Amino acid sequence: MSDFRTGQENAHPQKKSMIMSTLIVVLLTNLLIQIWLLYTALNNALDGHKEVAYSTFIASLVLFLAGTIWLYFLPKSVK
Amino acid sequence: MSNENKHWKEDFPINRGEANQVSRRDFAKLLAVVSGGMVLGNGLIAAKAFFSDDEEVGEKQKVCTRNEIPVGGTKSFVLKNDTVPYILIHTEEGEFYAYEQKCTHLSCAVYYKPGTMKIECPCHNGWFDVKTGEVLQGPPPRPLKKLVVTLVGEEIFVQHPKTENV
Repeated sequence: MSDFRTGQENAHPQKKSMIMSTLIVVLLTNLLIQIWLLYTALNNALDGHKEVAYSTFIASLVLFLAGTIWLYFLPKSVK
Repeated sequence: MSNENKHWKEDFPINRGEANQVSRRDFAKLLAVVSGGMVLGNGLIAAKAFFSDDEEVGEKQKVCTRNEIPVGGTKSFVLKNDTVPYILIHTEEGEFYAYEQKCTHLSCAVYYKPGTMKIECPCHNGWFDVKTGEVLQGPPPRPLKKLVVTLVGEEIFVQHPKTENV
């Protein structure tokens, strides 16, 4: 029985490069947003706005989990 | 048993060229790990914000007497049991203000520029309003931390403000 990833590779054997590039662009975008969240959290926490630190932490965690689940779609390496 | 197709062989290749190569798969995984680092950093900030005791209101402390600071002059001081440097300013309008002497950008020492009613950070040309501590110009992201100044006769006392932002 094939799962989504195997199906994806069978259906699009020529498109691995495009899939891989897309995955990396999305992960990089996630990371850029997380850097911005970290900067915002730090500045606001130092300024006494604690609630911003909590909300940015949750947002960052969601992005991390999304990025980790995203790795499931990584095409297998070519042997 | 053959080791030919074992995954660990990719991490310990014989050829130097292969050792230096980072595949896009590995790069994508690295991005996920860095992303985890960001969450950790953000979590530390949130934890510190949660556990820090901001209800603390310090006691009044005497800095000096009125005569010790000329108009337009300043005096540096530190509070008891603390190492953070502060600056007491006697403005041309006759008012006294006390601020933390560390710039909120990169912690350079700030100083009052007489006659301008502004506090300057010379490192990156940052300027603050002497009355409020608000940023007027430059890269500092936040206002300077302000102390409450009270005059009792000729003596000048300072005190940490309450939790609300000052």
